[in-house]
Amino acid sequence: MDPPLVNDSSFSAANPSSYTLSEIWPFPVNDAVRSGLRLAVNAGRVFNRSEHSGSKDVSVAEESTVTDLTAGWGGRKTRDLNSEDDSSKMVSSSSSGNELKESGDKKRKLCGSESGNGDCSMRPEGETSSGGGGGGSKASEQKNKPEPPKDYIHVRARRGQATDRHSLAERARREKISEKMTALQDIIPGCNKIIGKALVLDEIINYIQSLQRQVEFLSMKLEVVNSGASSGPTIGVFPSGDLGTLPIDVHRTIYEQQEANETRGSQPEWLHMQVDGNFNRTT
Amino acid sequence: MSFIKVLILKFSSLRTQTMASSDKTINTDVPEKDVFAIHFLQSLSNLTTQNPFNSPDTTNYRARKIKKAAYVSMAKAAGGSSRLWSRALLGRAAKENNKIVRFARRKRKVTWKISSKRRSDQRAPEATDRLRNLVPGGGTMETSKLMEETAHYIKCLSMQVKVMQCLVDGLSPK
Repeated sequence: MDPPLVNDSSFSAANPSSYTLSEIWPFPVNDAVRSGLRLAVNAGRVFNRSEHSGSKDVSVAEESTVTDLTAGWGGRKTRDLNSEDDSSKMVSSSSSGNELKESGDKKRKLCGSESGNGDCSMRPEGETSSGGGGGGSKASEQKNKPEPPKDYIHVRARRGQATDRHSLAERARREKISEKMTALQDIIPGCNKIIGKALVLDEIINYIQSLQRQVEFLSMKLEVVNSGASSGPTIGVFPSGDLGTLPIDVHRTIYEQQEANETRGSQPEWLHMQVDGNFNRTT
Repeated sequence: MSFIKVLILKFSSLRTQTMASSDKTINTDVPEKDVFAIHFLQSLSNLTTQNPFNSPDTTNYRARKIKKAAYVSMAKAAGGSSRLWSRALLGRAAKENNKIVRFARRKRKVTWKISSKRRSDQRAPEATDRLRNLVPGGGTMETSKLMEETAHYIKCLSMQVKVMQCLVDGLSPK
C-alpha cells in the first residue's frame, strides 16, 4: 500500500502551486496498473479525490471553459463506459470480476476527468472558449486511445482452446493460482523438486503444521523455563505460609483446577484475576 | 522476570537504532523480528505479573496462554490489519477475550469452502480445504489470495519459531 500514499502526498504538494498534466498523469496510474488490481483500485480512489480538488482549483481560475468542458466529459464518459464494458467483461475472471470492473470504471472516470483537466490547463492560453464541449471531448478521446489496453489482462487462447469468456476467465484464474503456488514453493525449503499440485499442497500443509507444532512445543518450553526461573523460591514459601489462613481461596483453587481439567481453558477470566489478586496480597 | 525486562529494554533500543538507521520506507513483506520480540516479551511479562506462577493454573493452561500470546504478537508484528490472516487471528483472539474489535470490512464475506466442494472435478480440492483450515481466516479467501496469504503466514511463522527458539535458549539456565 505504499504507492497510493506517496501519490497522495505528491499530489497535495503539487496541486496548489503548479498544475501540469505531465507531472500528474503518467506515473501513478502506470504504477497502479503494474502492481495489481487491488492497488489499482486504491490508487484510483486517491487519484479521483485529488483530481476533484484539482479540477476545483482550475474551475476557480477559468470558469467559462470548465463549465463547457464538464458537459463534454459527461457524454464522453458514458460512451466510453458502454464501449469498454464488453472488453472488461470478456476477461474479468469469475473470482476477481468485481475488482476488475471496479478498477476499470474508476480508471475510465479518471481518464475522463484527467484529459478534461489537461485541456483546461492547456487551453486558456491559445484557443480559450472557441472549441467548447465538442472540441474538448474530441481531444480527450484522442488522448484516451492509447490508454485503455492497460485496463484488462490480455488473455489469448491457443489453438484448440475454448474462447468463450468463462473458459478464458477460468484459465486466467488458474494461471494466477499456479503463479502464486510457485512463489510458495520457493519459500518452503526442499519443495522445488516436487511436481504436482496435490503433492505440493500436501508439503505446504505439512510444513505449516510442523511450524505450528514447533510453536506449541516452544511455548511449553518457555513456560517451563519461565516458571522454573521465577517461581523457584515462591513455591517453597507458599505452602508453609498461608494455607491455613485462606481456606476459601484454597477451595476456590481446587474448584478451579477441576473446572480447568474439565473444560480445558474456557473458564472466565475474572475468577483467575480475583484469585491471583488474593495470592498477591498474601505472599 | 527481571531478565525479561532487560531483554525488552535491549530489544526496544535495538529497534530504535534500526529505525534511525533505516529510512522511512517500511517494507511490509519482511516480517519484523524486533516488533514480534518486543510484543511477545511484553505479553510474557504481563502474563507473569498478572499470573504469578504459584497460581492454581495448570502448566497446560499457561502454555496455551503463552502460545496465544505468541500468535497475537506475531499477528501484530505482521502489520495488524493489513493482512487477512493477521486480521483473522486478532479477531479470534479478541473474541476469546470477549472484547469487540472491529476492523473496517473490506468485502462481502463469502465462504469459499462450499464452492470448492462443488468443484469436485479438480484434483486437489481436499488439500486446498485443509490449507484453508490451517491458515487463519482462510475460509473466506479466494484461492489465489489464499496462496498469497499462506506465503506470508509461513514467513511469519518461521520467524516466530526462530525468535522463540532464541528466547528459550537465552532464558534457560546454563
